[in-house]
Amino acid sequence: MSVVDRPAARRPVAPTAAVALAYGVVLRQLLGRGRIIGLSALALIAPVSGWALGSADASLDDAVNLVAGIGLGLVLPVVALVFAGASIGDLREDKTLVYLWLRPIDRWPVVVGAALAAVTIAAPITIVPVVVAALLTGAGNGIVAGTLVATIVGLVGYVGVFTLFGVWLKRFIVWGLAYILIWEGFIAQAGAGVARVALRKYTRSILVDRTGADLDLADFPLAVGVIVPVVVAVVALAVASWRLGSQDVD
Amino acid sequence: MSELPPPTLATAAVPIEPLTGMLVVDHVSKFFGSVVAVSDVTFAIDEGVTALLGPNGAGKSTLFRMLCGLTPPSRGAVSVLGADPRNDREVRGRISLVPQQDALFDHLSASDFLELAARGHGVVDHAGAAARALHVVDLADVGAKPVGQFSKGMRQRVKVAAALVNDPEVLILDEPLTGLDPVQRRHMIALFHRLGDEGRCVVVSSHVLDEVARIGSRVLVIAQGRLIARGDYRDLRELMDDRAHRIRVGCSDPRRLAAALVERGVAAGVSVDGHQVMVDTLDADAFGRSIADLAVELGVRLTEVHPLDDDLESVFRYLVEGR
Repeated sequence: MSVVDRPAARRPVAPTAAVALAYGVVLRQLLGRGRIIGLSALALIAPVSGWALGSADASLDDAVNLVAGIGLGLVLPVVALVFAGASIGDLREDKTLVYLWLRPIDRWPVVVGAALAAVTIAAPITIVPVVVAALLTGAGNGIVAGTLVATIVGLVGYVGVFTLFGVWLKRFIVWGLAYILIWEGFIAQAGAGVARVALRKYTRSILVDRTGADLDLADFPLAVGVIVPVVVAVVALAVASWRLGSQDVD
Repeated sequence: MSELPPPTLATAAVPIEPLTGMLVVDHVSKFFGSVVAVSDVTFAIDEGVTALLGPNGAGKSTLFRMLCGLTPPSRGAVSVLGADPRNDREVRGRISLVPQQDALFDHLSASDFLELAARGHGVVDHAGAAARALHVVDLADVGAKPVGQFSKGMRQRVKVAAALVNDPEVLILDEPLTGLDPVQRRHMIALFHRLGDEGRCVVVSSHVLDEVARIGSRVLVIAQGRLIARGDYRDLRELMDDRAHRIRVGCSDPRRLAAALVERGVAAGVSVDGHQVMVDTLDADAFGRSIADLAVELGVRLTEVHPLDDDLESVFRYLVEGR
């Protein structure tokens, strides 16, 4: 007779079950009260700014600039960075990743489950305040719809990229902030060529497409603005899965 | 590497028996940059309990990480149940690791943590497997409590329980007795032996010699990344007992005690330092038996009897350097 009374009957873990397993673990790991409160406070900047602009009877271009700058350029990527980077990055750093890594499951369901958990938490903290900000500017329905689409697409793209950062890089927050503030916020503003490799250009293009506003570095058609960030996310998650399987785990 | 006894200088490992077994390590080295964590280690072990003995930083955890596939060898090959644990998904379901680190999912209850492990292994009755494993480590009563509220010893037992839910054929335990009280240690060691008796390959690391004495008669000794000896624990113990021992004795009249120790042949050599006598003896047991009686006879008050070299480092030094 076995020490544990009877041998455990086992069957291969289905990919969907593995995704659900990783999703549940990571979701609960990410639900730290301090992190959520802090990022929610940051996200409040967007609706407060929208309300201030709306009170001043600003133009459509001003409203789009505000949403693109504060909402899509700051709140969205920073919140996505913190949650997506931490989704696997925190497990790696606190050495609990071993409890997922050693299971007889593929790597990609772990990465996909983690990314879905990050989206689940980041979505309400980004989409709601940014869309409310657009609404409060009083610049019409076009900006609200455009902001909604751009935020969702941008969230998918940023979560994919920053999940990869969390898997690969030890100081994923520092590298992520460098990407957001230095690459997207500064270098990518230098010209259309460089801007192509910044997710911000695609979310801005969606906004411009839906509003007709005049915004620099936002000249992609809607389809490109939507498809490229999604493709980037898929590729980033694929690379993250490969990396998770090939790296050392403590 | 030496088969015990006698100790020999560490040289390139030359396997005596053919490399077959549930767990095979074949000329494995691991480098982290310029640091050599494991150097040309070769062994094969089969069912039963094997103790991996070595001081902190000897390379035990790195070796275990390679056995589980958590890191690849820089050179050589590791085979567990005939497969490469790093690349073979199926074989990972037949191995369990109790990692050295204390990290757990602290927000989960012990039951949830074990169910998570069971589900990850595809165990059909994951709740039942979790409950049975908790029972084995005497934590059934606190299964609903978050592991974040557990003591270090309880967390160790949760990790052991989590390693049992998939009914593993190979069980690798990295310092699993750390933080356990003596009763729990006995209980856990008995559990390891039962698991070994069931035909599982159980490998337990420790840096505490007395623990190893109870863990298993089969011992692998690792130091500075090299496998320096392997064999039966009793041979290792004899090696320790055969060599000269140095013991510090604190007392009220060290000169008188030192003279008597030499005169009675209990000590091979003595030196006096303040209120202490440094004693070199070839028979530590005889010394231990006679020192108290001798002190009483001489009217000398003993304040301390402390062996200075009855530790792992001195054993390793002896095995590696013969001194």
